[in-house]
Amino acid sequence: MEIILGIITGVAFGVILQRGRVCFNSAFRDLKLLKDNFLFKAIMFAIALEIVAFLFMAQMGWVHLNPKPFNIIGNIVGPFIFGIGMVLAGGCASGTTYRVGEGNTTSWLALLFYGLTAWATKKGMFSPILKAVSKYTTKVSSISSLYLADDKGKIGPTLATLLHINPWIIGIIVFAIIVAYLFLTKTTKRPDSKLSWQMIGILLIPVAMFGFWTSTLSGRPYPLGITGGWINVFMGYATKVKLNWEGAEVLGIVIGAFITALIYKEFKFRVPRRGVTYLQVTIGGICMGFGAVLGGGCNIGHFFSGIPQLALSSIVAGIFFILGNWFMSSILYGGSK
Amino acid sequence: MEELKATKTIDERGEVCPVPDVDTKRALKSMKPGEILEVLIDYPLSKERIPATAEREGHEVLKIEEIGPSEWRILIKVGGKKE
Repeated sequence: MEIILGIITGVAFGVILQRGRVCFNSAFRDLKLLKDNFLFKAIMFAIALEIVAFLFMAQMGWVHLNPKPFNIIGNIVGPFIFGIGMVLAGGCASGTTYRVGEGNTTSWLALLFYGLTAWATKKGMFSPILKAVSKYTTKVSSISSLYLADDKGKIGPTLATLLHINPWIIGIIVFAIIVAYLFLTKTTKRPDSKLSWQMIGILLIPVAMFGFWTSTLSGRPYPLGITGGWINVFMGYATKVKLNWEGAEVLGIVIGAFITALIYKEFKFRVPRRGVTYLQVTIGGICMGFGAVLGGGCNIGHFFSGIPQLALSSIVAGIFFILGNWFMSSILYGGSK
Repeated sequence: MEELKATKTIDERGEVCPVPDVDTKRALKSMKPGEILEVLIDYPLSKERIPATAEREGHEVLKIEEIGPSEWRILIKVGGKKE
């Protein structure tokens, strides 16, 4: 059952990612390189809506908010390396995953090294680094029954625990700030886009909610993620680990993006003219896998799923995803103004 | 309709994101006003982003046509230089 629920979530997510071209790598980079905020606004709109949606679901008792613990080293260094990696790989965790379904062979290679290195960082050759950093992990006492506390009553710090206020109050405040930014500042036009940025944001919400709920039912009390899913798929392939909800979800994204790309005649085996591009995306994939596990999550686990819970770890990680992305994209693509 | 003749062609098929956008931007910068740039592309996101960026920078998008399975040809007329 958990496999079916994971696949349904993934397919729906894949369809929207492909149609909306939802790539965090592009969203972050376009802000700086092209002074274009179209995709960034789509993603921030989804995050603002998720804040309220997740609080509502927790209030109803369907899920518990489960902010990731804060790690001052991991949440800075990991996301910065991940941010560099996604520029080299030509896509973030979700962007690379959906483009696998579109037939981008560079994404296939990036994904292979991303999944493999994530696994190596979690359980293999690089795991001593993860272990060394894990001693800086901090948790705080839970202040609300909306959170999922561990057996010692501890949770990852959030803006609510830092300020000692009800998660609803700070949630509504952050929601209002984001919405003010979205609707009071100028948005870059993209007339050829199939979906408006508001529509992309809204469409992502039912998927995020359904994913959070079914993932919780399957014994993984967290919203959407990518990195853990690929680790699961790779381990299932090389060892005999069973496919879980998250593994089924990432496979679903590939299937959903593949079907949509076929329907809209956007599927094609894309091969770069210069072979060196394969080397570039390989290095990118390695950086992404290492950075995501060291940092406790990728752009979906942290940015899309953790920031709406106002987790301190995810907010810090989000900032360093963007800084790593800007750092590498200005090296590779700067000077083109 | 008369077939438009491109001054310069760049083939961006198979390139990773955002190489097509960056190459287009650089090519447009190197060309004279009135000249026409032809961009061959197979990446859906850039197909939508390149015209939007070009228009914003004062160039004119003449045509976006499908030339094959997930392959497009974008024709951009170089506008007056900014600055």
